Amino acid sequence: MNTAGEPPESVTVDTLEQIVHRNQTWPVMAGKYGVENPVPPWKTSLDGMCDAIDRSCTGDDLGFTFKDRRDEEDALSATRYADLPYPENQLVALAHSLVARGVIDEAELRRRLDAVRARLEA
Amino acid sequence: MRKGFPVTEHDHDHDHDRTVKPMVDEITDFEVLEIALRELCIEKGLFTAAEHRLFTEFAEQIGPTPAARLVARAWLDPDFKRLALTDALTASKEVGVDWLEPTGFGTPSDFVAFKILENTPTVHNVIVCALCSCYPRPILGNSPEWYRTPNYRRRIVRWPRQVLSEFGLALPDNVEVRVQDSNQKHRFMVMPLRPRGTDGWTEDQLTEIITRDCLIGVALPTPGVTTNIITKTRPAVRPIAN
Repeated sequence: MNTAGEPPESVTVDTLEQIVHRNQTWPVMAGKYGVENPVPPWKTSLDGMCDAIDRSCTGDDLGFTFKDRRDEEDALSATRYADLPYPENQLVALAHSLVARGVIDEAELRRRLDAVRARLEA
Repeated sequence: MRKGFPVTEHDHDHDHDRTVKPMVDEITDFEVLEIALRELCIEKGLFTAAEHRLFTEFAEQIGPTPAARLVARAWLDPDFKRLALTDALTASKEVGVDWLEPTGFGTPSDFVAFKILENTPTVHNVIVCALCSCYPRPILGNSPEWYRTPNYRRRIVRWPRQVLSEFGLALPDNVEVRVQDSNQKHRFMVMPLRPRGTDGWTEDQLTEIITRDCLIGVALPTPGVTTNIITKTRPAVRPIAN
């Protein structure tokens, strides 16, 4: 649930919708370049991020527990992000949950996405 | 490259037949999102970079091999089998897995209550986490995608034989199927029966046929089979929105 008490899938995060629309998912990219790895290289970092959040956020004011995170991931993966494969759906669902809860502002996320891409493409 | 020599088109000492494997040669939105999200979480104090590194390194080194070795050793050594079935944490340590890693308290979602379920000629165990995706990660690695899906989680509890048959596992009617539901406090793993045709095999040979799927309980160890079943993940027939 977000701060307004709505289920997370009722919130639209345009920035994430655009990422979904561009569809640079691992199966597509791996197929394009003939790569055999079954999962994208950032997956273990995402695993680490989920564990780190589960550890630190359960008891604090945020109240974003392991169960909340997984329940919202299930709900979002079955609705808004149903077309994404795993682990892209896990990553986007986590971002969605944090934006929907107001932990991360969407404009702030968009600026950071631009900054990171500029850095990686430098 | 040899030092002191200019590089011409083929003046370098590598074998063109053994060059690196192909890579995705562009920056994807998801790669960017993972980094951006991580940076913002660190800046907002949700976790530190050191915590993230600790858990990421943990995620990179876990896999199903220790669990397979544990079962192979149990098949060969009755004393070790007794230990595995009565004190799975100590038995885990003997195959190199300490459930208290990486924090001294395990990972946030992997508590240290771990039990190994022994299959018998009349009882077959299979594990699930109906609530989310609890899984014995320290000893079995990350769960496969299908294990995380509501489809598997919901249906294996209700119709275990039907779901097992989708993995190619048809059990006789006289074999009872027990579905063990993991939870945030308890993790489980299956100890399958040693198959026929493996007399005289070494621990290494046996370890090779004890696949991840056998340890979840959706497959049986079979001589000659060393890979997991590839299943296509399907969306739920009745998704959450309904």
